[in-house]
Amino acid sequence: MSSLPTLREKKRYIAFEVTSEKTITRSELSREIMDSICSLFGDTGGSEINAGLLSYDGRYGIIRCAKEKTMETRAALACITKIRGIRVSILVLGISGTIKGAMEKFIQKLLNKESRKREESRELTNMNSILAE
Amino acid sequence: MSLFDTRFYDFDVHLVSESPDSITRFALQAKRYGYSGIAIANSKIDELDMGNIPEDFSIYGAVEISSKPSRLRDEIKKYRGSKDILIVKGENEEINRAAVETAGLDILLQPVRFNHIIARMAGDNSIVIGFNTGSIIHMRGEARIRELRIMRTNLKYARKYDLKMILTGSPYSHYDLRSPREMAALASLFGMTEKEAAEAMSAVPLWILGRKSPEYIQEGIEIV
Repeated sequence: MSSLPTLREKKRYIAFEVTSEKTITRSELSREIMDSICSLFGDTGGSEINAGLLSYDGRYGIIRCAKEKTMETRAALACITKIRGIRVSILVLGISGTIKGAMEKFIQKLLNKESRKREESRELTNMNSILAE
Repeated sequence: MSLFDTRFYDFDVHLVSESPDSITRFALQAKRYGYSGIAIANSKIDELDMGNIPEDFSIYGAVEISSKPSRLRDEIKKYRGSKDILIVKGENEEINRAAVETAGLDILLQPVRFNHIIARMAGDNSIVIGFNTGSIIHMRGEARIRELRIMRTNLKYARKYDLKMILTGSPYSHYDLRSPREMAALASLFGMTEKEAAEAMSAVPLWILGRKSPEYIQEGIEIV
């Protein structure tokens, strides 16, 4: 059952990007984030942060946290260095008040930029091949 | 304007060369994360391959001096005139004392058992106190508690004696790098405010670089 609107807690959604040697699975990342929060702030601190991994596609992802705890969540994300022996580094792209906002503002924008770049380079190679002929 | 709209620097990079292009990869990643420059402490910068470094990214040289307290003074004097940034790791009280007594040192990194006498001397010789956030991200449990404790004390003295502070992640590879905002979040764990953290990554490194430029003569005097 959903809570009363007046009692609903405000949340923030953090869009992040993972740089790693090999691809990390969703469950591994989720467990590592919880581990990091637990070791940094303890169980009571972790309950206040109210973190949860919402989406993750191997590179970009969104994590939920309490409105006042963005700094703590950022610190916990920064503390992740190794998952199963694979070195990782997490970069926060931005923080938004809605999932849609986080998705559109930070992740979609980057993906668009990348696809544009790829198209440009494809066009360039096409041009080069035409010129070579 | 946000606090994080300036140029950021990390002054204690120890690059472990895994592949020939590790320096390029490091520079690209650092630039993407929002840094404008780094200082490499473990190898000579002339020997590195600078071919593919982005244009608006600068790499400086740094020297990390580790010697017996009795030899520290001579070592600092030896490098004082050079362009390299001088760093001493404050591993024990004797090293801290020897390091702050000599003018010319730039950064005293993560000093343990810091006290008011050392703080006052560091202020007199305008030595910057370094905070190593790398120890927060790599350690867990008791060891991390100890490091945070040390940083809390150092911050207290640095505020009281108005010392300049610098934040570094001491990265060994581009996976150890954290963006300036993340560094500020890590610094908030031991009580540093966002403003202080931003200053410790932009204004203070720029001040050190200004001190290393040929126009600089001494505190407050420089050729215009």
